[in-house]
Amino acid sequence: MCGNDPVHFKGKDAVGHVVEAQVGGILSKAEIHGEEAPDHIAAGADTARELGLFALLFWTLFYGVDSLYTLFAFFILGWTVWRTGRSAWLSWARLERLHRIVAEEKWEIDHHRDQEREELKALYEAKGFTGKLLDEVIDVLMSDGDRLLRVMLEEELGLTLENQQHPLQIAIGSLAGALISFALTTVGYFTLGFYGVLFAGLFSIGVASGLLAHYNKNRITPAVLWNLGLAVLAWSFAVFLLQAFENL
Amino acid sequence: MTKEKEAIVFDEFFEMGLDDRKSPFLTPQSRRWGVNLFLKASLLSLFLLLSSYLLALHPTLQPFASLALVGVYFLVGVPALIDSVDDLLNLELNIDVLMTLAAFSSILIGSPAEGAMLLVLFAISGAMADAVSEKAKSAISSLYKIAPTSATVILEDGSRAPRSVKDIQVGDKVLIRSGEVIPLDGVVVDGISSLNLVHLTGESLPIPKEVGDEVPSGAENLEGTLTIRVTKPQAESTVSRIIDLVTSAQEAKPKLQHWFEKFSKRYATTIIALSGFFILALPLFFGIPYTGEEGSIYRSVAFLIAASPCALIIATPIAYLSAISTSAKKGVLLKGGIIFDAIYKCGAVAFDKTGTLTTGELHFANVDFLQGETSVDTLLQAAAPLEEGAIHPIAKAFLSECEERKLAPLPMRGFKAHAGRGLSAEVESKGKWIPVKIGNRAFLEEELTPEQQTLLAEKSDEAKRAGQLIAVMKVGETLALFRFEDTLRPEAKEAVTQLKKQGLHVAMLTGDHRENGERVAKELGIDEPFSELKPEDKLRHVTELSSDKGLVMVGDGINDAPALTRANVGVAMGSGSATTATQAADVILLHNNLERLPWLFKKSKQTRHIIAQNLTLAASVILFATTPALLGIIPLWLAVVLHEGGTILVGLNALRLLRDPIF
Repeated sequence: MCGNDPVHFKGKDAVGHVVEAQVGGILSKAEIHGEEAPDHIAAGADTARELGLFALLFWTLFYGVDSLYTLFAFFILGWTVWRTGRSAWLSWARLERLHRIVAEEKWEIDHHRDQEREELKALYEAKGFTGKLLDEVIDVLMSDGDRLLRVMLEEELGLTLENQQHPLQIAIGSLAGALISFALTTVGYFTLGFYGVLFAGLFSIGVASGLLAHYNKNRITPAVLWNLGLAVLAWSFAVFLLQAFENL
Repeated sequence: MTKEKEAIVFDEFFEMGLDDRKSPFLTPQSRRWGVNLFLKASLLSLFLLLSSYLLALHPTLQPFASLALVGVYFLVGVPALIDSVDDLLNLELNIDVLMTLAAFSSILIGSPAEGAMLLVLFAISGAMADAVSEKAKSAISSLYKIAPTSATVILEDGSRAPRSVKDIQVGDKVLIRSGEVIPLDGVVVDGISSLNLVHLTGESLPIPKEVGDEVPSGAENLEGTLTIRVTKPQAESTVSRIIDLVTSAQEAKPKLQHWFEKFSKRYATTIIALSGFFILALPLFFGIPYTGEEGSIYRSVAFLIAASPCALIIATPIAYLSAISTSAKKGVLLKGGIIFDAIYKCGAVAFDKTGTLTTGELHFANVDFLQGETSVDTLLQAAAPLEEGAIHPIAKAFLSECEERKLAPLPMRGFKAHAGRGLSAEVESKGKWIPVKIGNRAFLEEELTPEQQTLLAEKSDEAKRAGQLIAVMKVGETLALFRFEDTLRPEAKEAVTQLKKQGLHVAMLTGDHRENGERVAKELGIDEPFSELKPEDKLRHVTELSSDKGLVMVGDGINDAPALTRANVGVAMGSGSATTATQAADVILLHNNLERLPWLFKKSKQTRHIIAQNLTLAASVILFATTPALLGIIPLWLAVVLHEGGTILVGLNALRLLRDPIF
């Protein structure tokens, strides 16, 4: 690989660089659901956002009920356990699905080598490789089982390797998000009462949305304001429709 | 400083059964979260269970006790339930189903703590079993890593292309550079070099190879570049053959757990069937109602719980764990408690020679002069500067002998290494530059007269029969033959003596010449030496000794892996052994401490006795607590106390294994 520009290729060989660039492209085209932020941050922020909305709805709908803070605290406790476990479960389910895809691809590589070679050839022809250079690239890729599988996963299936966190890490992120948001609503309640909870709920939603936007390299202001707007819309639906229902 | 990123190795991921710990999708740092997850969950559930017992002592803390119990059922109950439902869907009744049924049924009769304890004990013993079976799996996976998965093929037009070994055909030419490992069996068609087979056969001397010689896959090319023509496809290569031998040896290995599995299936079916029977029969024959605290359902569920082999399940793992822990402190690593049982039944011990009874390091034995004569010190001084940069074991022996004799190397010039043959240079002695050549027989043979060639051949054969390695050296007009021997481990003789005192038959299995094998056996007091053995012969002897007397096989090389697996118990030397040997073995002597073998036999006897006591106690508890409880002779609470008391007693008895054996 003489002549490679180490800065341009970021320490990778030419093929590795091409692969990375293409995968980056595939991801950029995809709809973003917060995937670019580390999984545990995404899970934590999402949980905090949900808890913020719960606080808005719960305190408004049950306003006037005795021991509302106690009820809220235990409701949130149960919900937090569910949300934490569910985060872990969902990411384990995703891992299981991805592992099955890898196993299927490996089986294809082991049992249909000629076909896989053709697929690889087509992929690299589309990139502009031709003639002897194309054959050489295919030879190099086919010679190493690990590398071949990696290339097929990344190029053919568009999967990204080594970018996810363990389900338990994600669960802990989720738990942390819930605890932080709950702590904010508690502080709000004991300082400003009912309005403090509402403010803390909105604050949780805003900060969590801003944090995710920051990690995803999106614009922060629109992200914060759109999410706050959405929360107010959801809250309004519940409150005003209940009011309408009671007036009937 | 940036740390180099670890490459994804998909093979490991698949060998580990798509485990999170090797998942290609997880970041390298987060894979650590998946390590020993089941064991961690089991230990956490044990903590929750103990917390629940303590919290339940105070009535106001009862809700927390219940919460802790729910935690136990969630952490270890749900996985047990999943396994049991799978088993039931496959129409299989086993101990897992019995335990899960008993645990969850306990909630029905208001004793969820009993059920939680069953689950925790079962989970811990399961986690231990998983750890053992994982080690067995890794023995095979390490074998796959001996040979590379790709190689450089020389195409018809002379160009070179990388190929996966799966795509290399018989007849293809493969280029093996210095330092590379041979991927497939073949024959040399170009080049000359030496191959290192130490990790394959335990043979420490590099083997010279030239055109026409056969080369095995897995061997490391030390010096020059070789071109080989592939003679066997991957499935028939040397490495594949070893894998087949290890796999078949593992399958053929008699295992106590097979008996346990059969027993547990029958036991589970009987208890579950009896419980069902009692539900229907008690009202029919004794007029007992179906429901209520005295009802047949309640009593049958109580019977199911009390008959759960709680003490049996805890008795053996704690005993084994205590014995394993004591052994580890002595530098003896066992890959499972059941190995103690196997050692107890063995009546013979067989040792591999090279690297096991010997250290595998050469030392100077003597020198024969074939032409002229000078002092040995002078020859060593002349040899030292040539050997200083060499990696050959003979070079090390030359240098250590010089060091022992406190000899300084002579000045040198014009050094040249002749791949696979030897070294040449000029050394300065008394103001003169004298030519020096050191190497194998072929390196110097062409410079000798026919008489000298005959004499060299005779001396070489004599050395070979004595198990000695040779180096031929020419300094000026003086021609000498150096002989080197493998060094016996100092503790080997005492270990053999102690083993024989315990009434064990001691054998040695070696590929060496008979004369040398018998000499070593005599020196160490070994009863039966088997010499000149090929790997297949070794395996045959191991099979015979295993079935006749029960065999503990001690070895170190990859070639010993099939024998270590086939023997009733395989023991590998820990330091310097091939990874495959240590992974194929059941026991590892961490510091090559052979003197621990007699101790291990004593420990296995002690373990066996304590387990026998525990099993008797556990069976007695089941017999004397459950049936009377079912019949209403003793109250349920007393049955539970007896059940738990028995469990604690066997646990305490097992802890005695933490002490050294006294007989």
